[in-house]
Amino acid sequence: MADVEHKTALTEQIYLVMRLRWRILRNGLRQKSKRLDLLGLIISGTFATILVLGLCFAFYEGARAFLLNDRPGWVALLFWGIFVFWQGFPFFTAGFAANFEFRSLLRFPLKLSALYIIGLSYGLADFSAIASICWLIAMVAGAASANPVVLPSMIFVALLFLWMNLTMERLIGSWLERLLARRRSREIFFAVFILCMVSLQFIGPALQRYGVVLRPIVQRIQPYLSPLPPSLAGHAVAAAVQGHLNGVFLSMTGLGVYTLVFNGLLWLRFSAQYRGEEMNETAAPKATPLLRRKSANRSGHETWQLLPPAVAAILRKEISYLTRNGFSFFTLLMPPLLVILFSIQFTGTHPTIGGRGISAETFFPAMMAYLTLVLMSPAYNSFAFEGRGIQTYFTAPLRFQDVFLGKNLLIIVVLTLELGLCIIVVAYRVGLPSPPRFFATLAAMTFAIVGQLVIANWSSISFPRKLAFGQMRGQRQSGMAALLAFGIQILLAGMSTLIFLMGRWTRNDWLPTEIFVVLAAAAIGGYFASLEALTAFAEKKKEILIETLCR
Amino acid sequence: MPETAIITENLTRRFGDLTAVDGVDLRVAAGQFFGFLGPNGAGKSTTIKMLTGLLVPTSGRIELLGIDFAANPIDAKRQIGVVPEGMGLFERLTGTEYLHFVGRMYGLDRATTEHRSEELLEFMQLADRPKTMIADYSHGMQKKLALAAAVIHGPRILFLDEPFEGVDALAAGALKALLARMTERGVTIFLTSHVLEIVERLCSHVAIIHKGRLVAQGSLEELRAGIGAESSKTTLEQIFLSIVGQDGAEQPQLEELSWLM
Repeated sequence: MADVEHKTALTEQIYLVMRLRWRILRNGLRQKSKRLDLLGLIISGTFATILVLGLCFAFYEGARAFLLNDRPGWVALLFWGIFVFWQGFPFFTAGFAANFEFRSLLRFPLKLSALYIIGLSYGLADFSAIASICWLIAMVAGAASANPVVLPSMIFVALLFLWMNLTMERLIGSWLERLLARRRSREIFFAVFILCMVSLQFIGPALQRYGVVLRPIVQRIQPYLSPLPPSLAGHAVAAAVQGHLNGVFLSMTGLGVYTLVFNGLLWLRFSAQYRGEEMNETAAPKATPLLRRKSANRSGHETWQLLPPAVAAILRKEISYLTRNGFSFFTLLMPPLLVILFSIQFTGTHPTIGGRGISAETFFPAMMAYLTLVLMSPAYNSFAFEGRGIQTYFTAPLRFQDVFLGKNLLIIVVLTLELGLCIIVVAYRVGLPSPPRFFATLAAMTFAIVGQLVIANWSSISFPRKLAFGQMRGQRQSGMAALLAFGIQILLAGMSTLIFLMGRWTRNDWLPTEIFVVLAAAAIGGYFASLEALTAFAEKKKEILIETLCR
Repeated sequence: MPETAIITENLTRRFGDLTAVDGVDLRVAAGQFFGFLGPNGAGKSTTIKMLTGLLVPTSGRIELLGIDFAANPIDAKRQIGVVPEGMGLFERLTGTEYLHFVGRMYGLDRATTEHRSEELLEFMQLADRPKTMIADYSHGMQKKLALAAAVIHGPRILFLDEPFEGVDALAAGALKALLARMTERGVTIFLTSHVLEIVERLCSHVAIIHKGRLVAQGSLEELRAGIGAESSKTTLEQIFLSIVGQDGAEQPQLEELSWLM
């Protein structure tokens, strides 16, 4: 018999888990990188707080205005806003990495009820839940200030709505855990997310153009939404304002049924986990019968004969990594879509600046500069996904400059393809600028890209940060690397603007092209000259690099 | 071919105030199966990292097959194969892709790389998962792949950090046979392991490091003689405990855990 004299009380178990999480946070702060992360979290948290508080005011005013203007039914719109955010935000952020930490609690003699409450409280700690609760409080306050009589029903509806959302979000989370247990499904899911995010950018321009057509469709769909929880919450408030007790009772019963059903399903889910069922378990990959495969190329013929073997091997590895990293690969869809988006907003038939669209003479270099900024940023932390593999670069008989050459070659190929595609899209959507401006921009881009590679390589060694492959959650570049990238881009943009203006001042259209060609040639020369120094620098910094990436 | 494969002279590595490796003088003859032992935190991994180019020594000298490591690191690295701590795999490649990558990095031509990769994957029983990424391999499979990568270029010295950890008994048997055959062909194997039985069975020579200092080096017979053991049945574990446990600091005080017994 173990020396366990008494069962641990439910509250004590919950307290112990809370204390455990606090200690993990506190001990984590011993590391400098974690302290910097906390600082980053505080800064981003400050912005998030401002956003949440700003929206609190909007929810307060919204609820108050709807009641004062005798439109209590419209309160449902506010409930819908909270509902979509609460269920949608964690769906896209928390979903990319399965959280195994919670399940690890199961090895302790924890009661099912304690597990259930801890599981729910994990949900309450999400940003979406905290923000939504703030907005619900603001709504209650707004409604009460407009009509104090509705305060009791408003509080009751808000609490029921909160509980329903909390259990629903946890339930969806536990279902998603199974779906996202496989890397491939996580990546497909991520691709859908990126496409959704990009599509959101088009909502504004689309509403501008098709808003009138869409309105009747929305009105036709509206009645079908009334049996859903946010509409029921809105109906309950509206009925309370109008004094229809039956309506209040009916709507709250509907909301209560949803809450009970979600609670019941979640309890069943947690019970299964409590019994030991692995919710993230998936079928093991099938083994292929052992067949001696004939190599595709046994002749020894080299595919990339011009490249040294080590550089070719690194380039091949980088291509594999790019195509398998959902996050990096799908962000390559962004540049052409950004060109379309900006061309809709700033040129042609939707002028937004000074009553007329931006000309191709300005749009083309500005767009190319922006795309270079977007596409170059990963180069500042180019070892982010190497993990323990970084050791191979130091145990293999190669000079580190080969690693840079392989990695930089991929960046140049990707940039060439992306920018080439974007030039075609710009030509189709806006038109190309005059030849002097066009060639000056191309030369400027060559200068900016090659020049930045030198600094980006240095930054990759000096400020490495390990990033999880194919994930977005918790992915943050090193603060110094991001700052350096931003500073360099600003400097280059300033320099380029000055050179373009010099062409205008001297009335020599080809002068910027000539200057940029000289600068590009100097940057190319400087790049090759830097490789030797960077190799020595990598040797000097290898311990930090290995320690950071193998952690 | 030089008679001595590995020589270190006064090899030292400091991390701030801590001296992890303190003036180590090692000599490993070519073709030896050499076991490098020590308690946790003794300096085994730090030494092996310095010998394979992952860590720069604070002072001292390393010579591999007569090549000064500091002066000619690339020439030295061509001669060695490494299974480092944590295995050093690129987890988002398949096993085949990884072996192709490593083969090319060591300068093998494409045809040889492909041929050897295929043979190694079949020997290691990894050929039936051609599309599986290394990240999805079990720990034992990753270990076997790391070993395959370490030998693909036919190294003359092989550094193995805990090579059998997590490998099943069947595969471990095959790996031991492979390593034994390699030493017969003159390859020097430098191995660290916590499993003393494995070291005793495989290694002809052993060195023991304790608190950063080399406290014993030689054949098993020499080590037995060193501790004054009369019987040839004295095990490596007894030798190890006798040497490392001499200062008594590591002896656990079991009386303090009386409630558990």
